[in-house]
Formats: sequence, structure tokens, C-alpha cells
Amino acid sequence: MIENGILTKTSVLLRGAFKEYYFKSAKTLEEPKKIEQREFGYSHFGQPGMVRHLSFRNTGELIATLVKEVPSDVYCSNAYYRFPTSPMQDKEWTGADMIFDIDGKDLGLPCVPSHSHLLCATCGASSPGAELSGPYVCQSCGSRKYESSSIPCSRCVEGSKKEVVKLVDFLKNDLGIGPDNIGIYFSGNNGFHVHISDEAYVPLDPAARSDLVGYVRGAGLMAESLGVRKGDGSGTSIIKFPRGGIEYGWRSRMADELGINSTSTIKLRNIVDHAGGYSGFKMELDKKAREKGARIDPQVTTDIHRVFRMPGTLNSKSGLAKTKCSNLGSFDPFVDACLLGDSKTIVKVKSPVKIKLKGKAYNISKESAELPAFVAVYLVCKGLAEAA
Amino acid sequence: MGTGDLAKYPFLNEAGEYMRKSGFGWDELGRPDMKDVIERAAQRIEVGVAGDVYAGLDKYEIEILTFIVSLIMVKAIALEPVLKKYALAEARRAEKFLTDDLRKQSEPLKRSLFTKIFEDLFSLKIEMAESDTRLFKVKVTDYLARSSHFHEQEWKLINRLVSHGFVYLDADETVRLVRNELSILIHEKVRAMALPTLPTTIRDRAEELRARFAPRYEYRVLSANDLPPCVKHALDVMDKGENLPHSARLMLATYMLAVGKPVDEIVAMFQNAPDFNEKITRYQVEHLAGIKGSRTKYSVPSCEKLRNENLCFATQECAGIVNPIQFGRKRK
Ligand code: SF4
Ligand SMILES: [Zn+2]
Ligand SMILES: [Zn+2]
Repeated sequence: MIENGILTKTSVLLRGAFKEYYFKSAKTLEEPKKIEQREFGYSHFGQPGMVRHLSFRNTGELIATLVKEVPSDVYCSNAYYRFPTSPMQDKEWTGADMIFDIDGKDLGLPCVPSHSHLLCATCGASSPGAELSGPYVCQSCGSRKYESSSIPCSRCVEGSKKEVVKLVDFLKNDLGIGPDNIGIYFSGNNGFHVHISDEAYVPLDPAARSDLVGYVRGAGLMAESLGVRKGDGSGTSIIKFPRGGIEYGWRSRMADELGINSTSTIKLRNIVDHAGGYSGFKMELDKKAREKGARIDPQVTTDIHRVFRMPGTLNSKSGLAKTKCSNLGSFDPFVDACLLGDSKTIVKVKSPVKIKLKGKAYNISKESAELPAFVAVYLVCKGLAEAA
Repeated sequence: MGTGDLAKYPFLNEAGEYMRKSGFGWDELGRPDMKDVIERAAQRIEVGVAGDVYAGLDKYEIEILTFIVSLIMVKAIALEPVLKKYALAEARRAEKFLTDDLRKQSEPLKRSLFTKIFEDLFSLKIEMAESDTRLFKVKVTDYLARSSHFHEQEWKLINRLVSHGFVYLDADETVRLVRNELSILIHEKVRAMALPTLPTTIRDRAEELRARFAPRYEYRVLSANDLPPCVKHALDVMDKGENLPHSARLMLATYMLAVGKPVDEIVAMFQNAPDFNEKITRYQVEHLAGIKGSRTKYSVPSCEKLRNENLCFATQECAGIVNPIQFGRKRK
């Protein structure tokens, strides 16, 4: 969006709207715990890359920077460092919050094509995603490269919420993390971040976090945990419930699923035989466990040096804010995270589009439209409109 | 805790305390009747180094003394691999006793005494499970900090009994969880020990053991010509008191660990560095050795990696090797 060092009109439009937001609402920003030990980073409109290794002593300093620089995106480390501004190898990591990432686009929901738009990577022209059959060719310039832009629908939002609910069940009931230590945030675009502030998890290394990831995803459950072992002959199996029983954790989850308890040897025998013996049962169990598990991004949680979008800041992929959900059930990202102003803004819309923001439906088919800033910015961020 | 228990767990501070109270002093080690103890101690080391567990547990006082003398001798032998194997064997020995003691359900008082060992030595709080007296429970995070370095699938959290923040384990499993820490504890005890002037009886016996173990374990005595050029270069920079980049320090330390140089000597190699801090350096070297922190042992970076980091100063002799550790081996 930068041409010859001058911000494009579109960048100017976004920057103006973001500036107003940071100017008005920055004082309500939630201060990250131990802010002075964290690394911050941000991106500028129209410039690739990220300014990193920044540090702030308090939110006041941070807000001053936000208002002055007006970044397109603001990030904050989950890690605590002794020297947050040093290069990576000298920072001296002292711990990191545990964070889980649920991304709507990883859920493979069937509704996605119906609300996706294909944007030509060369000229930016837009066409509806549902129409793509065969290889992509841009109608305007003939380019074959494209990016896809999706306006999540209510099914997408519900799909992500369902995964959050599953995750929170593991966190509360299995790991015993108190509700006060579980922060659920809308990511600002199409998913949720779940932040754990329980101090006991802060020192854990990537290996330990990876084990937890497996736990909440339902990956790696052994048939032996349910009392099913491999027999001597091929296809045979032995049923013997484990010494510790099957009353807790994944064992009890799967026992409920299979309708057994630690006295149902015969019933389990039948289930195993029906599945085709040990290996068949193992496969079935694995499939069931993964369905019960929460679909989180495993890499995000194991990374102890990552930066995450900072709560309360705007996401340049949508213009929505990363927002804390105090009531997940009733949370509506298109209302609760849509925090920009409504000053009249004229944009050039690339293709007809339907959206609902702040409770009002917009059905835009004209090329040039005068829209409230929050609508205009959303469309521009999605690549579906540009500054007039 | 009784003397019997102390003989089983001679690494507890109470054991040293007991010896002190009974009026024991270093000079007594030279007494002729200590010969038997010294012999037992030597045996204890040999058994440990061979990968077995020393079984002696007859006269309690003698066993405690044997342990102390064996620590002194291991220190005097001064071979890192010997210390490692010995520490692991002692850990295994204690593990066996600890498991038995934890299993004794009939003596709840005694059981709580042993749960205290876990708390004092390893800051691991273990409680008895409400539902099943054969089970113990530990906090999920305490469990993970230890288990995530075990490789068996059954130790993965998903295959455990997990409920409301706790993992439920039986006695074997609980003790298995701290095996590594037990061996670190013994390793540390030896490391922190200041060697008194030894009676000749002990010194001679230790010398004898050292002479026997050395060919097996001692690192190749490295003359400058035996070192790969990259390592030599790093040492030169260090000798000049110049600053060595982090990646070069990593290479130097992992290389020296790989050829068996004791941690103490590696730490000393860095003392010329402008920012030398013994405590930090020691921690870092021990971390690389897999003694501290994540407990994964770091290997020497490959030649390719070093080339990319501009740390490679290859000569003809480097032909055909992919890791500095192979340097010079082909000639032999
Ligand atoms: S080739 Fe390998 S051993 Fe030789 S100098 Fe380069 S890095 Fe060192
Ligand atoms: Zn095009
Ligand atoms: Zn959808």
C-alpha cells in the first residue's frame, strides 16, 4: 500500500480510523501482567515486517506509542524476559503464559466457500469464492494467483465457540484451572485466544506444553489406558482394566462414550471384537478421542517465545478489536468487538457484499458507497473495498 | 527417622547430621579399622559404574559411612562419566527403597514421613488419594515438569488419571517421577563437596580406581593439534580475552562435553571471557550437559550449521566429516 514512500489513500483511511480508536479508547486497555518483562512489537500500515524487541514500563507509555505511531497490528509476548529489548538469544527467558489458539479457518466448516471472496494477488480484483470451479484466473488481469478473504458467518462463530467450550472443560475439570485464571478473547478476526494466567503453568517448557496440547486435543490415547491390550496371536486382545481404574480424565470420558465402567469386562470385550480386535479398537478409540478433543493450533501453545495480538488492540485483517468475552455464549464479535466510530466514509466497493455489523445489515451492491467508518474499514481490511 | 532409614537414604541431610552427632570426624577415616568401609565404598562405586545397584544394607552405621566415603572417592576419581554412573546407580538404589516404603499402607504415619522426603528434596508435594489408598496425587504442573522428558507413551498426560488439577499415581510411578532428580541430587552433593586432605588409605584406593576407569572414560588428552579448527579458533579468541559469540560458546561447550571434559574444567575455560560470571556459565554448561533445566542433552552443532554461522575454519583434515566431533577420529 506504499508507493514511492507515500502512504496510499487506503492506508491513510485505515490509519485515520485506527488513530481515532486508540486516541479515544486506549485508556481502557487491559494492562498485561508484569508488562515491563514482556516484549512488544507492531506493524505499520503499508509496510511489511514488524518492529520487535520493544518494551514498556506501563500502559501509559504503551498508549503514548500507539497514539503516536498508529500501528496496523500490536503484539505482546506471552513470555517474560529479564531483558525484553535484547536480541532473542540474550533476552533470558524466565517464563511464559500458556495460550491456546482456536482459528475458525482451521475447522474446515462447510459454510466457508459461501462467504469467501477471491482477491487477485496481482490487481486486487474480487470475485465470489463459491463460484470457483477449476483453476483460478483473474477476470480483470488474467493472473492466476489469488488470496482468499472470508467474512465469517454465524455458523463460523458458533463453530469456534464450540471448540472454546470443549477446551475450557478440559482446563477447568481436568487441569483444575480456576475460572479467574482463564481469559477468553475473540482474536479480532475469526477465532479465539484462551489465555491462562495460573502461575503454575508459567515455567513449563515446550515439552511439557506439548504434552498438555496432546491432552486437550485428544491425541495419543492408548487402548491400554482403557484396559485393552494386545494379545499373543494376531488380532487377539486381552481385557484387563488398569490398576488405577478408569474413573478419571480421558479414561472416564471414553468409558462414558463407550458405555462401560470398570466392571464391564464382557461389554468391552464385545466392543473390541466388534471393532476387529486390538488394532481396530485402537483406531476407533483414537478417532473418538480426537472428536472429543478441542481443535486448537498445537504450534501456538508450545511456542514459548511467540508474540500474540494484544488484548484491546485492532486487527488489521478486519478492523475489529481483540476483545475479552466475559460471556462467551452471548458474545457477538460483529457487535461486541466492532468498536470503531461511525463517521461517514466513502469507499469504492469491488464486488457486491452482504454484512451485518453493530446489529445492522448492510447489503452493498453499488460501486461507490457512503458508509459508517466501522463498515468501510471492515470492507477495506477484508480487501473488498478501497478508499475512493 | 531411624538409622535404618538413613542407611537407605544416606543422601538426606539427616544422615550427615547423624554422623556428626555420633562424633565422627574426617581424621577417623585413616584409622586401620576403616579399611573395611573403604573397601565397601570402592565396591559400591564399582557396582554403580557397572550399571548395577549396590545391595548392602546390613550394619546401618557402616552403610552410612560407606556412602560418605564413596562420595569422597568419586570426587577424588574426578572422572565425569564415573560420577554420572555412580549418581544414577545411587538414585536407583534409593528408588527401590522409596517405592517399598511408600507401598506400606499399614503405616500411614511412616508414609507421610516419606511424602515429606519428596517435598524437602524435590519440592514435590504428594498427597494420598481420597478414593484409593494405593494411589498418590501430584499437581498436574509438577507432574508435567518431570514426565514430559520421559519418552514412553504411557507417561503422556492423556494416558494418566487426571482430575481437578491432579494426576493420580501409584507408588512405583510416583518414585519414578523423581529418579532423575535423585541422581542430580547426588551429583550435586559430590560437586559441592570440598575435598579434605585424604588419608592415604582412601587416596590410594581412589587412585587405583581412577587408573582402572581412566582408559575407559577419560577424555582424549587434547593437544591443540587434536582439536578441530573451529574449536581451536574459538579457544584462541577466548585466550585473547575477546568476546566470543553465543553460538561459538555453545559449540565450544558441547564439544568439550562430548569429549568428556568435566564440567568444572569447561567452566574454567570460559574465565577469560570479558563477561565471565562463574555462576551463570556453570548453569549454562550444566544445562547443555542435560544436568539442569530442560534436561535434554545438547549435541555438538553440525559442520553445516557452523559453516552457516561463520564459525567454520575448515582445513584439509576436515575432509569428509559432518560434525566436529568426528575430527581426527578417522586417523586412528
Ligand atoms: S569442517 Fe567442521 S570440524 Fe572442520 S572447522 Fe568446519 S565446522 Fe569445524
Ligand atoms: Zn487481477
Ligand atoms: Zn461460516
